[in-house]
Amino acid sequence: MIKTKTTSPVGKSVPRIDAREKAAGEAKFVFDMKLPGMLIGKMLRSPHAHARIISIDTSKAEKLPGVKAVITAEDTPKIKFGSNEYFFPYTVDQLPLESDKARYIGDEIAAVAAVDEETAEKALSLIDVKYEVLPAVFDPVSAMKPGAPQIQGAMNNIGVMLPMQFGDADKALKESDYVREDIFHLQSAAHCALEPHVSLGQYEVSTDRITLWTSTQAPFKVREAMAKTLKMDAADIRVIKLNVGGGFGGKLEMFPMDFSACLLSKKSGGFPVKFTCTRQEEFSFTRRKHPMTYKLRSGVKRDGTLMAVTGEVIADGGAYCSYGPTVIAAAILRIFMVYKIVNFRVIGFRVYTNNPICGAIRGFGGVQSGFAVESHMDMLARGIGMDPVEFRLKNATDPNMETVNKLVISSNGLKDCIRRAAEACGWKDKFGKAKSAGDMARGIGIGVAADVMGSKMYKAHESAGSIIKVEEDGSVYLFTGAADTGQGSDTAMAQIAAQELGVAYERIRIKAADTEITPFDTGSFASRVTFISGNATKNAANDAKQQILNIVARELKLDAGALDMRDEQVVKAADGAFVMSFDQAVGLCYSFNYGHLIIGRGNYNPKTTPVDFRTGYGNISGSYGFEAQVAEVEVNKKTGDVKILKMYDVHDIGYPINPDSVHGQIEGSIVMGIGYTLYEDLRFSEGRVVNPSFSKYRIPRSVGIPPIESIFVETKDPQGPFGAKGMGEASLLPTAAAIANAIHDAIGVRITDLPITPQKVLEALKEKKAV
Amino acid sequence: MKKVNIEIDSKVQELEVRDSELLIETLRDRLGLMGTKYSCLEGDCGVCTVLIGGRNVLSCLILSADCDGEKITTIEGLAKNGEPHQLQKSFIEKGAIQCGFCTPGMILAAHSLLDKDPDPEDEEIARALDGNLCRCTGYVKIIDAVRDASQKINRSTKS
Repeated sequence: MIKTKTTSPVGKSVPRIDAREKAAGEAKFVFDMKLPGMLIGKMLRSPHAHARIISIDTSKAEKLPGVKAVITAEDTPKIKFGSNEYFFPYTVDQLPLESDKARYIGDEIAAVAAVDEETAEKALSLIDVKYEVLPAVFDPVSAMKPGAPQIQGAMNNIGVMLPMQFGDADKALKESDYVREDIFHLQSAAHCALEPHVSLGQYEVSTDRITLWTSTQAPFKVREAMAKTLKMDAADIRVIKLNVGGGFGGKLEMFPMDFSACLLSKKSGGFPVKFTCTRQEEFSFTRRKHPMTYKLRSGVKRDGTLMAVTGEVIADGGAYCSYGPTVIAAAILRIFMVYKIVNFRVIGFRVYTNNPICGAIRGFGGVQSGFAVESHMDMLARGIGMDPVEFRLKNATDPNMETVNKLVISSNGLKDCIRRAAEACGWKDKFGKAKSAGDMARGIGIGVAADVMGSKMYKAHESAGSIIKVEEDGSVYLFTGAADTGQGSDTAMAQIAAQELGVAYERIRIKAADTEITPFDTGSFASRVTFISGNATKNAANDAKQQILNIVARELKLDAGALDMRDEQVVKAADGAFVMSFDQAVGLCYSFNYGHLIIGRGNYNPKTTPVDFRTGYGNISGSYGFEAQVAEVEVNKKTGDVKILKMYDVHDIGYPINPDSVHGQIEGSIVMGIGYTLYEDLRFSEGRVVNPSFSKYRIPRSVGIPPIESIFVETKDPQGPFGAKGMGEASLLPTAAAIANAIHDAIGVRITDLPITPQKVLEALKEKKAV
Repeated sequence: MKKVNIEIDSKVQELEVRDSELLIETLRDRLGLMGTKYSCLEGDCGVCTVLIGGRNVLSCLILSADCDGEKITTIEGLAKNGEPHQLQKSFIEKGAIQCGFCTPGMILAAHSLLDKDPDPEDEEIARALDGNLCRCTGYVKIIDAVRDASQKINRSTKS
């Protein structure tokens, strides 16, 4: 029973469409699913970082009572999968189960399904794998040297090399008044979604079809990868997403357990098989952030003009490519969204090592680039004695411009973001006037960033679709392929549909992300959903609306173009005069004379041009979002502790579909960014994660969260649904640099190596004293 | 095996539990109370929080055999006569719920706090929730929601 009626919901902080069942504990996650006869799946993983597989004997495991199926690569078509297959086909490098070689500690070798967890674990211990241990390599620089162990057969273990060059960087450096070179080191990190990866597969013997329930950000991508690697018709594979307990880029591709759940189900004769990662497996064997080293050498004119940026990025990619190509491309090319640079030469290497696999994580290399570039820019500004805010205003991109690499930027509130951030924090009164009291010193720092609104990663198009049906009783159902993983896309889609159709938000029922029922959608990544799926939903609602208006117009002998729907009414577009209620209009459509079922459909493919990753030219996104972030910190010079006093975030989000949801994304991003800046650090010893638990890998907790002032700049993007842009990644990107820049303002030392631990602060202070 | 009587969400359950059976297993696997989630099974994340006698307890660290005679409240037992608890309402209205996986534990940890301290300062709210991880919200709106709930509960008890 719905009591409230929120009409014109766009721009209002309506409660999330799924919040009531989540608050009640009724919301269902795949994690909670149980099916009759369900078996437990477990994965046998390589204990070696690099080893040839000599033989696999599963006979003892198969004989264990309670074991229903065991699979190895021999049960598979041995077809590799990858994540960037459209632009980087040579990076398709992972088998669902490896047959010849294990390339990291955790590589999937075999899988079992048994009646319970204990039996499954025991079965794993009965599988006899003979390995020939091979020399392994764990850091990318060693891996690129001649004679290093060869992991995938790529020359010098370089999985992806992207040399990006525009203009004449050497000449521009020569013409610069000030040139400096800086090196930045960025550590690995884990996504830490609270719902682990979970897959439940069921094979139907009579039809030779598969249903997979999985906690994913991209059900259609999983379906496609499953079809290819299992050599099945995609039509015979249905992937269903329920509520997803967080993704952050870690659930954006097919995992061996998706594949194994289905194949084990088939081999067991059709019993459903469920895999649930333990927290230790989450940390050790899923995906993680690429550790990177940035070497940047750039030049500026005395007046602050950024003349050239050059450098090199080296990323440890781990044993397989995953989304590595996109990550390294973003790590290099994101800079063009924020700075007007014409002379540029940066080469990126994504290198195979025998470490666990690196992949996508909120920002796709943008976090690494954000820290390196935004620290470097601050250092350049200081080098010429220019205020960092002025420096950024001088070099920031503008509205309606094409960048040197052919990004087409339409609406752009970056300069407004910078100005308003500086105003909000009182920059003029605070910057360069570090306040010290005893051991405590306060400082302030700024960073800027930009968001894409999608990115083609595994297909030639990036379309999303929506369907809206309006039933005879006036109920409105929205079918969308968009995958809500907690960011609130179901809510945003419902608001957009209600707004365009002119009905109350509470009327909308949503059915999302089921590959057999809902239209296609590439998934939740690259801040694309509000913009792309939102436009598709708006188009579908408009289509349904036009169907209703056409019938009303015919009945009343009016011009349909002169009618509109708003606030649950059909009205005259010109003056809003009441024509009939929504329910009356729907009743008319379903009446004796018309019998018209209202089914609206919409799709949207953003206007972009293909990015040529050999040259870096191309327009990756239909629009761009921008932001500026300021950190105020207090450093304890005696202990090295850094306390964040306040964060300011000013974000060009176009227009907020749901302001609370947007603030929530920004707050969540900033806090995640603070964790990465100050302490999150996924650490390894000889390819093994040494801190795979929440007690050893610290993520932010509720104590010590600074006040966050989040401000919107509304540029009303001409392409966005109701002017909205996507967001969700950008607020994480400048956080580390804003904090590092603030630390420099406070105590005059520069930390270029994340995380900024108290020890590093003390060492830097000691070094400064010694000079 | 041990026979226990546990009152779960106002309903007495007579159960025969394994000696090693964790409360989270009893709730989810035996009773189908799937509202209580878990995320680490090591006591690090707070996701599996339930109330025992009003106090927040991690159901992954306690044996069901030790719960004989206890009164346990899970997220499913918080609403009264179909009316959500004020904490649930405030979490919904204040945008404190994103993916929702931490929400049941978070709401129960907050419930335990408000039982002891009906009018907590923000810092006390943060301290009370420090054992409950959330990766989505950055905690800002969760603390807002608990403050909002405490104010509304106090107002309704005064009036």
